[in-house]
Formats: sequence, C-alpha cells, structure tokens
Amino acid sequence: MVDPQFAFSQTFPTLAATEASAGKLVASTPLAPAIVVALCVVAGLATWLLLPGKREAAIRSIGGVILLATGLVFGAILVRWTAAWGGMSFYFWAFSAIALFASVRVITHTKPVYSALYFVLTVFATAGLFVLMWAEFMAAALVLIYAGAILITYVFVIMLASEATTGTVGAKADSFISEHDAVSRSPLMASFTGFAIAGLLVFLILDKGSQIPEPPAKSQAAVDLGSAQELGRNLIEENAINVQLAAVILTLAMVGAITLARRRVIVAPQDQSIETVVSPGTPVDDNPHSIPVYGTTNPRHKAYPET
Amino acid sequence: MPEVFSNLALQHYLVVGSLMFAIGMIGFMCRRNLIVMFLSSELMFQGAAINFVAFGAYWGKLSGQSFVIFILAIAAAEAALALAIIVLLFRQKHTVDSQAFRELRG
Repeated sequence: MVDPQFAFSQTFPTLAATEASAGKLVASTPLAPAIVVALCVVAGLATWLLLPGKREAAIRSIGGVILLATGLVFGAILVRWTAAWGGMSFYFWAFSAIALFASVRVITHTKPVYSALYFVLTVFATAGLFVLMWAEFMAAALVLIYAGAILITYVFVIMLASEATTGTVGAKADSFISEHDAVSRSPLMASFTGFAIAGLLVFLILDKGSQIPEPPAKSQAAVDLGSAQELGRNLIEENAINVQLAAVILTLAMVGAITLARRRVIVAPQDQSIETVVSPGTPVDDNPHSIPVYGTTNPRHKAYPET
Repeated sequence: MPEVFSNLALQHYLVVGSLMFAIGMIGFMCRRNLIVMFLSSELMFQGAAINFVAFGAYWGKLSGQSFVIFILAIAAAEAALALAIIVLLFRQKHTVDSQAFRELRG
C-alpha cells in the first residue's frame, strides 16, 4: 500500500525526494501543478488563436508559434525529467511530435481535404509509435485500415459533399473556403475545456503513473508482441465472442450505410436556397437513382413511383 | 524479444495518447464541418488505441492489441454509417454545416 504521506509528498515536487523503493527508481513528478496550469492556459489561448475564425492569418500563425513553443517547453521538461533514467529513444520523440503536430493541423486547417491528409500523417506517426511498442502487426493493420480504407472514404465524401462557393468569406486566396470551415463554433470554450481535460490527464499520469503496479515477471509470460500468429491465437482463444460481435456490427453497419445512402430525399419546400424546378420542359431524367423533383408539373416526374 | 518496457516509457505513451484525445475533443467541439468533426472523433480513437497498445506492451500481454483490432472495427463501422448520414444530410440541405441542422436540437 502507498503511504498517504508519501503520496502527498509526491504531489509537490519541492517536497518529494527521488526515492528508491523496492529496488525500483521512483521518479518525482516533473511538473508542479502551477506549471501544468500555466502550460494549459497558454496552450488553450494559443489554440483559440489558431482555430479558424474571423481573424487575420498573421494572428493565427502567432497562435501556431505560441502553441509550438508550449509543446517544445513541455517536451523539454519531459526530456530533462527522464534524462536521469536513460530517457526515451529519439524515435519516440520524433514520432510523437509528428503525431501531435499533425493532429493539431487536422483540427485547425480550414480545408477539409488537407485535414484528411494530415490525419493520414497522424496515422503514419501512430503506426511508428506502435512499432516502438513491438506491435508491428497492429502498425501494419492501422496503416492499411485507416490510411487505406477509412480515409479514402472520407476523401470521397469530402469531394461528393463539396458545395458551391456561394457562401464564402474572406478575400482572394481564401475564396474557396466556405463559411462553416472558416469560422469555428465557440473556439475559446472548446480549447479551454479540452486543455483542462488534457492538463488533468497529463498531471494525473505523471503524478500517479509510477504507482501503476508492476507487471508479473516477463520471463515467464514471454510473448512475442509483434507476432500476428500470437495475436490471432489471442483473438480466437480469449475474444471469440467479441470477434463474432464485431462481424455482426460490421455487417449491420454495411447494410445500414447502403440503406441510408439509397434513401430518397425530399427537399423541404420552404428552403429558399434550393431552387425547385416548376416549369415543364426539364430534361427527362431516366436515372432511377436520381432525386425526384417534387412540386413539378412535369407528368413524367409526377408519375415517378414513390416507394 | 521485447526488452523491458519501463514504467516511465508507459507514462510517456499515455501522455501522448491523452494529448491526442484532448486535441480530437477540441476539434469535435469547435469545428462546424461535419466531416472534420468525424475526423476529430477518429483522432480520439487513435489516442485510445495508443493507450491500449502501451498498456499491452507494459504488461507483456496481447489483450491490448486485440482490443485495438475491435477499435478499428468499430471505427470502420462508425465511419461508414456517419458518412452515409452526412451524404444524406448534404442531399437534403446542400451543406455540411452542423449549424444548419439546428432543428435536430429539439
């Protein structure tokens, strides 16, 4: 059991001494709560500046620079903290920096296609982190499924659902960005809520992380973590029901997606942004999958079966 | 064979995972494009997956990785359904702005 006095002293690194208990180095907390709060406030403000809004591009890039500097300071604190214990490998820092940078770009870029491409970069960096954790098969599966399948679907939908450039804001270079991409919804509240949760999680992990129980001796549980064979055996032997449930969920999702996408859409008549064709003489549409035009006098359209 | 995956390494990976989760949450809360909102939810999935794999590596077990497989399956199902709904909504109002569907708020 952990002595409460010891836990208290761990909360405040000025009081906490680096202790060796039970042959294991217990690291003191690298971050005082005040530093965590300050970093989160600065990062929240920077994210608020960086998020798309009705601001100049220069102010947004200032926010980006501040956020980058905050991340570098946080990384430097972590590097200094772990330097005494050998530290993490260079690849960990590189991959996590790429992953976090790309994920910030995903949420701050005003063009959805670029967001999707930055998400691909995040997936690649996460796959690198997986390789560092000896999960080679999962890294390959992540790249195949996320970057190969899911993101292609996203890019297709972005291209399908790109609207006409009527409601644009901004001048020349940004003229292709529609209004809902260029202006965020309450970015201040969102970034502060997000960084409050991030600060809590980071402080909790770094403060109490050394109390996570030690794993059993790894020599007897010698499992090759990267082997797809072992992973398949684990799936079939321990998670057989879950595999079947996942199959059912995937089938249901496929059926549901097809059903939803083939549904006929009735455009609301009071919506002024969509022009309803009233006059006869519209070109006859023989495509059975096209959207029927309601409120028309064209007899061919009236006769369209409403199933 | 894996060498030792220390407690400190576990904490670092957990920090990266939770930061990615928080970034995805910010994106989901403040972006107005429905497609970017769902991209942000995929970011949150990624953060959770990093945590699963890190704990699996720490304990030397494969359960973490098999749960990531289920995360991938659920993410694929969610992407298919969400994108079908987005296409449907786009055909209805010719926009993917989430503010345009305020009547769903009730």
